[in-house]
Order: sequence, then C-alpha cells, then structure tokens
Amino acid sequence: MTDKAPENDELSLHSGTELETDVNNRIYNVAVDEYFLNIKSELNQIDRLVNDAVTHLMINFEYINELSKSQHEAILDIKKLSASRNNKSVLELLNKQIVITDKNEQELQSVLTALQFGDLVSQLLAHTTKQIDTLKNTLQHIDYIRNTSDSEKYKQGNNNEISMAVQLAVTKKTNKPVVQHEVQKGEIELF
Amino acid sequence: MGKTILTVDDSVSIRQMISFTLKGAGYEVTEAVDGQDALDKAQRETFNLVLTDINMPRMDGLKLLEKLRGLTPYKTIPILMLTTESCSEMKARGRDAGATGWLVKPFNPKSLLEIISQVTK
Repeated sequence: MTDKAPENDELSLHSGTELETDVNNRIYNVAVDEYFLNIKSELNQIDRLVNDAVTHLMINFEYINELSKSQHEAILDIKKLSASRNNKSVLELLNKQIVITDKNEQELQSVLTALQFGDLVSQLLAHTTKQIDTLKNTLQHIDYIRNTSDSEKYKQGNNNEISMAVQLAVTKKTNKPVVQHEVQKGEIELF
Repeated sequence: MGKTILTVDDSVSIRQMISFTLKGAGYEVTEAVDGQDALDKAQRETFNLVLTDINMPRMDGLKLLEKLRGLTPYKTIPILMLTTESCSEMKARGRDAGATGWLVKPFNPKSLLEIISQVTK
C-alpha cells in the first residue's frame, strides 16, 4: 500500500527479486485500495437507497396527513348538518368516524417518529465508513513499515509494529454517534 | 404572528419532519443545513428558539451553541439540542456551553411541541 515510487538510482540498486516484490506489492496495493473503495461505495449506495426511501415515505406521509385532516373536517361538517335533523343513528356513526380519524392522527405521529430511522442509519453508515478508513490507514502503515524496514529487523519487530498500528487505529476511533437499537422516542432533559 | 424557530440539521428528511411538526403548530420555521449556515442566519435575524443537531459538517451543533451564546441577542434565548448522541459526557459539554435542553432522536412530535412551548413561555 506504499505509494512511494523508487528513485532512479534506488531502482538501479534493486536486485531482480526486490523488483519483483515491489511490483507484487503494487498489484496487491491496488487490489486492497479497490476492495476498500468497493465497500465504501456499497455503504454509500445503502445510504442513498435509505434516504430515497425516506424522501418518498415523507411525501406519502404528508399526503395521507392532509387527507386525514380533510376527512376529519368533513365528518365534523356532516355532524353539524345531522345534528339539526336529530338523526340518532347517523350521529352515532359520525362519532365513531371521529374516533377513527383521531386514532389515524395519533398513528401518523408515531409514523413521523419511526421515519427518523433514515437519519439514524445515515449516521451509523458514516461512522462505519470512518472505521473502514481507519482500518485502511492502519494496513497502509503496517505495509509502509514492512517495505521500509530491512527484512531481519522487520521479522523481529513485526508483531510490535502491528500492535502499535492497531493501537493507533483504536485511539483514533471516534465515539459511536448512535446507540439506539429501536426507533422509539428518545429521552428529553431540560438543564 | 407565530414565534420564530431556527432549526438546524444536515439531514433533509429530519428538517422536513421538524418543519412539518412546527409549522402545523403555528410556528414560523427557518431551516439551516449546518452550524455555519445557522450562525449566518442567526446574525441576520433573532429567532425565539434554536433547535439544533450536533453532528454536522462545517460547524457542529456544540460549536454553534458556543458561538450563539457569544452573541448578545442569544444570551438568554432557548437553544435545544436535538441529536442521536446521548452520552453523559456530550450532554455535560452541551450544558456547560449553555444549552437549554437535550432531546435524543428520534423525536415524538407531541413531546417536541410540549418542550418548545414550555421553554418559550
């Protein structure tokens, strides 16, 4: 994963085997980069799909909410008209309708809470993408040490260097921004 | 004229949901896409309340909170944090920087309206 290109005089000092190793490393590095790019691209794709779905659901939600409000208003108007005729059975039916529209509106409130899953997912995906970047940088660091150390020293210190690089990645790890496991109303605290 | 609220979030859908809830209750809502955008808007107009996310590009919600508290019109105006973050360390940072309250996402429209009504009385 080392991108550093050998200088011309350095190149002339390399033996045939070293050159082969260098070429192999480059092929390996390109493959590793592609591998990580593919993972990130898939995470982006998930993010786009989720956001697109939420956008569509939000449009549907607003439309259903408008319909529900109109229905509620219409029932109240019919109730007013029916009241003057004192038709008991019609009034009973209308009262039932009012209860249903009230329940619809309550359910729509819960839908708005649930629809926020898109934001939670986006933040988790961004966090995972950062972790993948850290992992990639750690691997590049290990590879850099392997390519710049002489082989005997590398063999002796290899485990230490890997541990150090992983430790570096762990210290760089950011706090997980989302801890929720369910899409339920979050807590509220006034200071 | 309804009370004015500045809502700050980098997520389009969350901004839509907040606006939908607040406008439905008669508030006048201005949206900002991140802390910097919010600060620019807050310097042009004084809002009755600021409702902000934390994790945003350019300027995060905690930095925005500090900056707003540094502006004379915003010394006492309620600033609520609406975020997925719920760790006590982060909350303490918000409280120390002058946040009025901390709401963990996802929000419930009814509870959000109750809290806003309570802090803007």
